[in-house]
Amino acid sequence: MNNSLPFSADTRMADVVHRDYRLIPLLGRFGIEFGFGNKSVEEVCQMYSVDCSFFLEIVNSYHNPDYFPQKQLQRFNPEIIIDYLRNTHAYYLNSKVPEIQTYIDEMEGNVPSIQQKNITHLNSFFREYTEELVEHLSKEDHSVFPYVLALQDALDSLEVPDELYGTILEKPIQVYEKNHDNLEIKLGDLKNLIIKHLPPISNNDCRKLLIELFRLESDLENHSRIEEKVLIPKVTLIEREVLQLHGTC
Amino acid sequence: MEPVKPNIIIAAKSFTHRLGIKTILGVLGIAPDVIEANNYEQLTGLLKLPNCISHMILADEIIPDPQKIHFEKLMDYCGEIKFLVLCERALTDHPSARFILHKESSNKVLDAISELLSEPEEDSPQSVESIVLSEREMEVLKQVAQGFSNKEIADALYISVNTVITHRKNLTEKLGIKTIAGLTVYAIMNNLISPKKVQH
Repeated sequence: MNNSLPFSADTRMADVVHRDYRLIPLLGRFGIEFGFGNKSVEEVCQMYSVDCSFFLEIVNSYHNPDYFPQKQLQRFNPEIIIDYLRNTHAYYLNSKVPEIQTYIDEMEGNVPSIQQKNITHLNSFFREYTEELVEHLSKEDHSVFPYVLALQDALDSLEVPDELYGTILEKPIQVYEKNHDNLEIKLGDLKNLIIKHLPPISNNDCRKLLIELFRLESDLENHSRIEEKVLIPKVTLIEREVLQLHGTC
Repeated sequence: MEPVKPNIIIAAKSFTHRLGIKTILGVLGIAPDVIEANNYEQLTGLLKLPNCISHMILADEIIPDPQKIHFEKLMDYCGEIKFLVLCERALTDHPSARFILHKESSNKVLDAISELLSEPEEDSPQSVESIVLSEREMEVLKQVAQGFSNKEIADALYISVNTVITHRKNLTEKLGIKTIAGLTVYAIMNNLISPKKVQH
């Protein structure tokens, strides 16, 4: 099995998981459950009413950072993309972040008292990070995504509300999605505080915590990549179409 | 292993002073590459050259008044350079500064100079594992962790804003921590500041 080949509609869904276990959380975001038997990706997607080509693009770009979907993705309805991104946000907020929080809390409860202070500060550092992450994600959920859907609505109904027109001119998608940079830097600091600077403690939670921080980081990187390479180019295109439409109505 | 030949600055106003120091180095059997400076401006000019100086011996009369402030500026320029000051009285209580007083016996002077030159380099392989912050970097770290701005730190430590920025850059590189919040946690972990001092 050549690991660098992209997954296709004919690939067995079971092989997708065997070849890259990091894709397991993605299945959850699409609402796909295990028990595939020997069904192909296409068959499983049909069972769960998932758009198969979109699923493949997402899975392939997670699997291989150099995989650049580009043109393919222009075809997708923004609703599909946003649905997926929203599910991803929910996964971070309702599952991943609370899980990491549990590890830190347990560590704080179990370390010798001399280390207590250090873990307490790591904990508040992580809570601060979480607050920023929540703020960033909910800004996307509550202002960016509705904007994108409004654009699509305008195209479908052939009517461009003035307010929407103003937003395209003043705050197009390019402006908003400048960076996840700060969030990534904070996560990097937290990792280094543990790897390099925390005085040694023999604690399993600490190892689990670190592994999960690495997983969260790589998941977030993939997520940003999809927003940058899929969502933004797609929305930029729609913006242009809506502007044209406005010119003609 | 062949020891690395030190590059030494000898800074003193008078020729006899400089010759005396060179002679002492000869007596100690050390033959470094010597660069001489006979005034403060020339000295600071030499210190700005990147990476070629490892040690410095200077006579205090080369430092203009007010000596304490000019001396601390000099320490900023020095960075990793190890230095010894020949003087009437110690100029500061800074722990990384070494002084040998004029009134000391010849043996003490010889000891002080040979000790200066025999010390291992801070970034020699055996010390790579531990993270060594210079005293100055430590000072800057404490201030950053307490939430002070570059300008405030510069004023408090009598150094330029540019110097503060350089120290901060080095801190980030050495520690692998980029955010202020992260540096604060590091400082608290290492008991450099008390959690109460943190401003938000």
